[in-house]
Amino acid sequence: MKAGEKKNGISFGVLSKWCGEFSFIIVFVLIFLVYALTSNGLTWSGTMNIFRHSAVVGIIGLGMGLVCMTGEIDLSVGSMLALNSGLSVIMFNITDHILMTLLFALLFGAACGLINGLLVGYIKMPAFIVTLATMLIFRSFAQYICQHIDKALAGGGSSVYRMIKELSSYQPFYGLGNGKVLTVPIVGLILILMTALFVYITTSTKYGKKVYAVGSNAKGAQMAGINVSLMKVSVFVLAGILTGLASFLWVAMNASSDPATTGSSYEMYAIAAVVLGGISMSGGKGKCLGILFGAMSYTIIDKIIVALKMDSLINDAIKGIILILVIVVQIIGPRIKERLTRHN
Amino acid sequence: MSLLEMNGISKAFNGVQVLKGVRLNVEQGEVHALLGENGAGKSTLMNVLTGVFPKDSGTIAFDGKEIDTITIRQSEELGIAFVHQELNLFNDLKVYENIFLGKEYQNKLGKLNKRKMMEETERLFHELGVDINPSELVANLKTSQKQMLEIAKALFFKAKLLILDEPTTSLNNEEVKHLFSIVNHLKKTGTSFIFISHKMPEIFELADRYTVFRNGEFIGDGAIGDTTPEEVTGLMVGENYSAGEVYEKRKPGEVILELHDFSGPGFKEVSLQVKKGQIIGLTGLQGSGSSELMQCMFGVTEAISGEMKIRGKRVPSHSIHKAMEAKIAMLASNRKENSVIPDMSLLENMYLAEHTLSARRPHIQKRKEEERFEAFKTLLNIKARSSSDSILSLSGGNQQKVFIARWLNTDADILLFDNPTQGIDVGAKAEIYKLILEMAKKGKTILINTLEIPEIQKVADFCAVFYNGRMIKILEHDEINDTTVMLYSTNAVNQEIGG
Repeated sequence: MKAGEKKNGISFGVLSKWCGEFSFIIVFVLIFLVYALTSNGLTWSGTMNIFRHSAVVGIIGLGMGLVCMTGEIDLSVGSMLALNSGLSVIMFNITDHILMTLLFALLFGAACGLINGLLVGYIKMPAFIVTLATMLIFRSFAQYICQHIDKALAGGGSSVYRMIKELSSYQPFYGLGNGKVLTVPIVGLILILMTALFVYITTSTKYGKKVYAVGSNAKGAQMAGINVSLMKVSVFVLAGILTGLASFLWVAMNASSDPATTGSSYEMYAIAAVVLGGISMSGGKGKCLGILFGAMSYTIIDKIIVALKMDSLINDAIKGIILILVIVVQIIGPRIKERLTRHN
Repeated sequence: MSLLEMNGISKAFNGVQVLKGVRLNVEQGEVHALLGENGAGKSTLMNVLTGVFPKDSGTIAFDGKEIDTITIRQSEELGIAFVHQELNLFNDLKVYENIFLGKEYQNKLGKLNKRKMMEETERLFHELGVDINPSELVANLKTSQKQMLEIAKALFFKAKLLILDEPTTSLNNEEVKHLFSIVNHLKKTGTSFIFISHKMPEIFELADRYTVFRNGEFIGDGAIGDTTPEEVTGLMVGENYSAGEVYEKRKPGEVILELHDFSGPGFKEVSLQVKKGQIIGLTGLQGSGSSELMQCMFGVTEAISGEMKIRGKRVPSHSIHKAMEAKIAMLASNRKENSVIPDMSLLENMYLAEHTLSARRPHIQKRKEEERFEAFKTLLNIKARSSSDSILSLSGGNQQKVFIARWLNTDADILLFDNPTQGIDVGAKAEIYKLILEMAKKGKTILINTLEIPEIQKVADFCAVFYNGRMIKILEHDEINDTTVMLYSTNAVNQEIGG
């Protein structure tokens, strides 16, 4: 009898630990089930489309995840996406070269991230304030440049950056953003590859462990020989590079970028995906895999609203409510568990 | 009749029995020492008493009244106050605001009567002989003053029983004396104390009676006057305790560490030569510069002048990484703040420092690390289930061993130990000092900064005494004893000569 109880107790413990650590999968499955029920006939290509539509937010989210793991925040990624994608369009229009455009997007992203990182890491300003300021700056530049640059470079549009259709690399570039490999969207594959890369970095490299250590106890990390300032710079630079990659994909998918709307509220979606993925905003905890599921969960919510023919303006309200629900469960769950074990 | 009678108290967490039917009786107006190693169940019992955890079984009677279930609030109202080891004060509030927090004097409109609160605070401090300005920010107080403030706060609300959890850990000898005089004074007015400490001399100076726990069981109680420190220690640790001398003389190697007129924040013109394999004790009253010297040697702070050489090569100042490359390691004081990475496992905590040195090979070889962890676990006798357990699941002594492993794992030659036995029980302390001697035998050079002279006496080849930022005396192993060290660290020697 006693032995049976003990065994039961252990499996309950393991199960609840697993549920706690991988709650993002449970949330994803639940939302996906709602989607499967509401959409008339779940199709393979429809499901694969979730990857496509999660790519930009997901990749930005990976960078945000690293920043959050160190206990910081980056509010500038949405505006950075607008500026970077706009300038990448111009770069493409000048060079007519896909790789050059990619290289530019990554380097420019790194430079933007470096600004955030230096101000947070070495000047020791609060990340919230720094990135709030750069959020305003990046968006403003994106719009200003679009108005004041030679119209030919911006693709002739008045307030939108457009890729020039006549360029020889236009079709391959647009094809990259909209093509599929074995029915899977290329941009979705890139998201999965990047997630795999960052899961590796955070779980199996010394750099990853340092990121967690800085977020968990910065003083302790410093006393173990970690250069905390440099680590903070590095995560902001990585967030910038990933936003650069997301900008490149955005341009490939849309062939244009509207500086007023591109990436608007994306910092919030990225943070939401990060939180839904189980990463603690106070740092030190969470898994990169969760970000993939977090981002996909939000994409599916969009699709459910379309399937139900609801007004898309209700979109953010539903996303917000789900975010609150998930966090409430995450916080209350352990308390309920504790109460249950106490009464047992 | 006793003020507090706890009988047959049991408590289990997740099926692990932490308290097994223990009892504790505290009389009115006495100081009762609650003794036991870390993990013996002292803290759990105190948490049961103050309503933090409910008990599983047993009875509690306080002031003649039987108490069945108790909440934190009720225990406060009954007059039980817990002065925690980690002080529960609000640094950004003023002294009097901390005392009156949640119980402010106010008029009908909710406007605070600040003057009255300050006056009351002043009166209380005067009674206790405490010298603190009521309108000072708590952040600006010294640790000892914060300790006094916690006690004053408890007394203001008519506490009948104060639980002091290792109150002297961060106090210097002068402050300890002051604290004890206050406790003795309050004892006469009928206040009772439960005194939790690992320092035998203090227990025998202050306590009237004692209760010993071991592994969650009641072992014994009695009057302090009828026992000896050896007997009590024996009860605490069980059979496998030996108070024997651990020190043995070794032959030192060549000079490895030199300080020339080394000055930095908090210490001045320190010159020192240390040979390979030596163990050096640094001591002095708090703020005398010994701990500050260690921090500067490890690159935490920037040196002002002078230089530090290792194997004849100058080590640049103000870079922990450079110090680590020069094969220096530091086990920092204040474990919770400076060493523990709370979200990480034992293995991750142990490997953190090594990772910064081997960052050029970024991939983690999990199996190799597990093997090293197992090796250190055996070597240092770390009591842990699995390398993936949280660091927070270990007792203080075992945590400290993980951090010793962290630094041994970096292959450092010079180990700086700043207050290494802080908050560690007697058994683990002895073990750590035995380890220090073993490491020295294997050629490690070790500097230990501690205020506990008996510990230096056990292991150090010589001891450098600090006073007011300067190293004023070097004592050879045979010269080290409580009185001599105290004479120098209070600078009483020079006053005698001068006077």
